[in-house]
Amino acid sequence: MGVMDFLMQGFQTAIQPQNLFFAFIGVLIGTAVGVLPGIGPMSGVALLIPVTATLTSGMDPSAAATSSIILLAGVYYGAMYGGSTTSILLNTPGESSSVVTTLDGYQMAKQGRAGAALSIAAIGSFFAGIVSIIGLVLLADPLSEMALKFGPAEYFSLMLLGLAAVSGLAGGSITKAWMMTVTGLLLATIGIDAVSGVARFTYDIPVLFGGLEFLTVAVGLFALGEVFKTILHKEEDGEKVAKVGRVLPTKSDLKESAAPIARGSFLGFFIGVLPGAGATLASFFSYIAEKKLSKNPEKFGKGAIEGVAAPESANNAASGGAMIPLLTLGIPGSGTTAILMGALIMYNVQPGPLLFSDHPDVAWGLIASMFIGNLMLLILNMPLVKVFAKIIETPQKFLLPIIIAISVFGVYAVQVTTFDLFLLIGFGLAGYLLAQNDYPLAPLVLGLVLGPMIENNMRRALTTSNGDFFIFIEHPISAFFIICSVLWILVPFILRLKGKNVVINVEG
Amino acid sequence: MQTGRFDRYASVLFALLGAAFLFESRNIADSAYGSEVGPNVFPFLLGLILILLSVKLFIESFKNIKEDQKEQSGLQIKRFVIILIASLLYAACIEYLGYIISTFVFLFVSFQAMDKNSWIKNGCVAAGFSLCVYYLFVVVLKGSLPGQPIWFS
Repeated sequence: MGVMDFLMQGFQTAIQPQNLFFAFIGVLIGTAVGVLPGIGPMSGVALLIPVTATLTSGMDPSAAATSSIILLAGVYYGAMYGGSTTSILLNTPGESSSVVTTLDGYQMAKQGRAGAALSIAAIGSFFAGIVSIIGLVLLADPLSEMALKFGPAEYFSLMLLGLAAVSGLAGGSITKAWMMTVTGLLLATIGIDAVSGVARFTYDIPVLFGGLEFLTVAVGLFALGEVFKTILHKEEDGEKVAKVGRVLPTKSDLKESAAPIARGSFLGFFIGVLPGAGATLASFFSYIAEKKLSKNPEKFGKGAIEGVAAPESANNAASGGAMIPLLTLGIPGSGTTAILMGALIMYNVQPGPLLFSDHPDVAWGLIASMFIGNLMLLILNMPLVKVFAKIIETPQKFLLPIIIAISVFGVYAVQVTTFDLFLLIGFGLAGYLLAQNDYPLAPLVLGLVLGPMIENNMRRALTTSNGDFFIFIEHPISAFFIICSVLWILVPFILRLKGKNVVINVEG
Repeated sequence: MQTGRFDRYASVLFALLGAAFLFESRNIADSAYGSEVGPNVFPFLLGLILILLSVKLFIESFKNIKEDQKEQSGLQIKRFVIILIASLLYAACIEYLGYIISTFVFLFVSFQAMDKNSWIKNGCVAAGFSLCVYYLFVVVLKGSLPGQPIWFS
């Protein structure tokens, strides 16, 4: 069967009524998550895992996995749409990948062109979404074919590269990023060892035998950590929401933004595919590129529509591009994709090259649903922009305690132990303290998700080589990955020594 | 952001964490059937790396120590502590009081901590949320949450 046949099958999966419904709910909640300042895509997705787990509890495992991943992915790219709304109307980015949008978006809103800015952002996001899905379709097969030839040594080195990439680009201090990664890997060793069946660090406490539940840690770190931060720090209110005005863009708006949208989409897609570089970097780069290419760069920062179109397309394309290493190689390139991966593993679906042969319905169903989801977002966002703008006004005093209540509900509904609730609050506190002091959280989650796989592949590789560590260098592909990860660590380090500013990824 | 002081404490804590894993990993069986490398190797190595990284952070923290000038006055300690304690009690009591009662109490207390003025509205939202979630999840979706305590029904 060719790619097109698989894609058609995927569409058959995606247009089943319950999957359409899940995609719709996903993009709707995703847009809301993007609009609400304080909840980013990471905590949004983490918070919804338990909800989807209960929604799909009656289905058979494979269909349940498909439906929930469709919903969660919808939240992910829906948040990229929604993030632009607050940037433009409020001058407050809903999430970090929309920071650059504020530069020109808010200026446009001040000039009464908020509606045009919002709809251009939506159109750009739609186009970018489609570009990245086409890229995903084209690259999925060859990449997973290649990855099927990998042995444990190659896998170990590849995951090392993934960790190096995310740690090297996350936050201000590489030391802190690596500490988070190693802590995540260490926490992953708690529980029964999958290879030998030996219990590690459990001290005969029954709840520890299964290991620390990834879901609890992710919801605690991201959702609760963020809530605690907002509770502690006084919110700045008083910023007035700009009027949306006329929604449809004019012909000249469309003409001016067509090329930036196309460039932003392709640039964003390729940045998204790279592990570690996420939507935030993509939007920054595309904004800078547009400014360089523009005939009159002085327009930027004063309400240039290109300055909205390019970064908004780029961040959406990047979120689609980030799905490629996740689905084909099983290596999440960012915090949010790490959480998506954890969700897939919860359903016993292992992302990676075998995903396309073992669970074609999950993989292709997801890809097809992304087409549909993007279409839904476009249809939803154009007329409903004014409704979403209202969500911004949700009072914080209700929102924050309710997020805590939803986290508790979600974790308890899945885990059914109070131990996990205390763990949740503990990780919430840790998440607040760590994030507040520039410790990036995404590497920790990445380490926790990748930990068991890294360890198993390392041990399998070492078993075949009788304990000889040189196996990782003797295999050419593995050696290549190792060299890449070493370079990834060394290059920013050398650049910093030379006093150069290194672009970092704040989103993680 | 100046995070020197926090970094120093954190580096000590992380070093202790690494050391704990390092020493405890010696108690794990070091050989496993069918595997050249025992289950103790991976945590041992990671513990070692974490200690080394902590030492590096400890040294780095002195470079950034330009006296923390964070203004503590902006922090809303009171409402945070109330909500934190409420969450802990919520976690502890959810199985005894049942979902609806414990959620209602938690939300009501937290809403009051955020804004004291409109307790009727706060009560309505808290009751609405807990009843809705319970109804949707238990009655519609047939999920399971702790029900009402015996003395209540």
